Amino acid sequence: MQELTFKVQRYLPGKDKRPYIQEFTIPLRQGMTVLEGLIHIKENMDNTLSFRSSCRMGICGSCGMLINNFPMLACHTPVEELGTDRIEVRSLPNFPVIRDLVADLGPLFEKHKSIKPYIISLDVEEAEVLTAEFLQSGQELEGYVQFAYCVKCGLCMAACPTVATDALFLGPQTLGQAYRYCTDRRDAGVEERFHQADSRHGVWLCHLAGACSEACPKGVDPALAIQLLKRAMVADSLWLRRKKKPAPVAQPPTESKQKIAVPEFTVK
Amino acid sequence: MSETRLKILQYITGIGLFLFVGTHLVISHLSSGEPTTWESIAERASSSFWLAFYILLLIFGLYHGLHGLRTIITESIPTLPAKVVDWTLGTAGIAIFGYAAYIPISAF
Amino acid sequence: MEMKATGSQHRHLPNRLGIKGWIWGGNYTLERYLYTLHRVTGLGLLLYITLHLAMNGFRLGGVESWEDLMSVFGMSGFKVGEYLVAAAFIFHALNGGRLMLQHLGYTLGKPKPPVYPYVDSMRRRRPIVWVMLALIMALAIYVLIAFVT
Repeated sequence: MQELTFKVQRYLPGKDKRPYIQEFTIPLRQGMTVLEGLIHIKENMDNTLSFRSSCRMGICGSCGMLINNFPMLACHTPVEELGTDRIEVRSLPNFPVIRDLVADLGPLFEKHKSIKPYIISLDVEEAEVLTAEFLQSGQELEGYVQFAYCVKCGLCMAACPTVATDALFLGPQTLGQAYRYCTDRRDAGVEERFHQADSRHGVWLCHLAGACSEACPKGVDPALAIQLLKRAMVADSLWLRRKKKPAPVAQPPTESKQKIAVPEFTVK
Repeated sequence: MSETRLKILQYITGIGLFLFVGTHLVISHLSSGEPTTWESIAERASSSFWLAFYILLLIFGLYHGLHGLRTIITESIPTLPAKVVDWTLGTAGIAIFGYAAYIPISAF
Repeated sequence: MEMKATGSQHRHLPNRLGIKGWIWGGNYTLERYLYTLHRVTGLGLLLYITLHLAMNGFRLGGVESWEDLMSVFGMSGFKVGEYLVAAAFIFHALNGGRLMLQHLGYTLGKPKPPVYPYVDSMRRRRPIVWVMLALIMALAIYVLIAFVT
């Protein structure tokens, strides 16, 4: 039976001064993912191994790790795709390590909160007590829906070379989401988010290395969102930005279709 | 000035430098004549076109270079106070401009 | 913003790649290393400008001072350095032009709902980078020939 060698980062705060690598050899099963390998190690070899996981299907973003020097979701990475039987797993870079493979994603969530990642509506009454939907065309939706698929896994922040040196940089996830909300016609918080992105550690520290989009497991393409945000900010700075009209609330129907009568039973 | 406006100036000086430095490279380093002899420098020094050219090249080059350096310092040492970085680079830029602009102006 | 460890008596281990992350941060592809090269050529050109401006100061010393300086710069080591500066300028200028267009959202295409297998906008537009690199190589070779002949 074919075997795999997992080289896993171990670190126990208070006991270890720095992380070290521990090797485990496990049997390969067809279709096995890196997460399944880690679960096998935890269940059969060393139950002190710590890592995060939840949905195991690439939707929650919990299991982000550095796998063979590239940030990936462990549940979304079949071991056969790595093309090697030696798999090195470390915690995500650019985030503090809590223990073993568990990274502290607090910085990601704090930065994300700072750009107000929610619809800020001019019609406060409607936003508080929704009576109808806001109207948007399919084309308007296409302008931002790609960026709405973000699962906040942190892989883009781990990949970004600016986040590697500058702890204050907002990062690709935050800036991508800032653009997502600014483009949504239901939103009226563009000026606030532009102000935040125009800070010294804001959008202009992105130099298009593109590693964030390369690492993103959901195809969100944060690099594209950031460059579109820059375009919008330059246009705004030169007084060239076309301010979009807010999305109208759908009006209640003025006429209803006649109900189709229930036919008479033919069998008495 | 907002970071966006500073970046727009970086783009403008970048385009300008492409033209100015490209011309300077061709004239001073790639042309078949002897552009770096004292006589040929003295000839360019007495031309108002070349004086304006060199002053603009200096302004564009210093802004573009020092803004780039400011970005690198901001990213590499984020704890350094912003005012310290800006004032140090601004003062250095003005000092270098003063010295470097004096040379062609004094020869004009 | 200061990120503090919460709920633990031990400090979380900082895990930032630092400046080493610019040089090699992992198994990334071309664009990340073009970013590093753009930074390195920029710093190199800034250093050269400073030395070049200092060198120009020799003009104030008159013709003898200038001619002495030019005779030193005629040595082959300096000629190699001069070519490297020209090559760095060519790369920085053309890559900078590409970056400027892409920073303003041009040449990257429009957002569209992602369909697996995902290909991001920069990888879809990789041919632009190849064209730019070909242009850089061609200009660098042309300048090399001009220097040598």
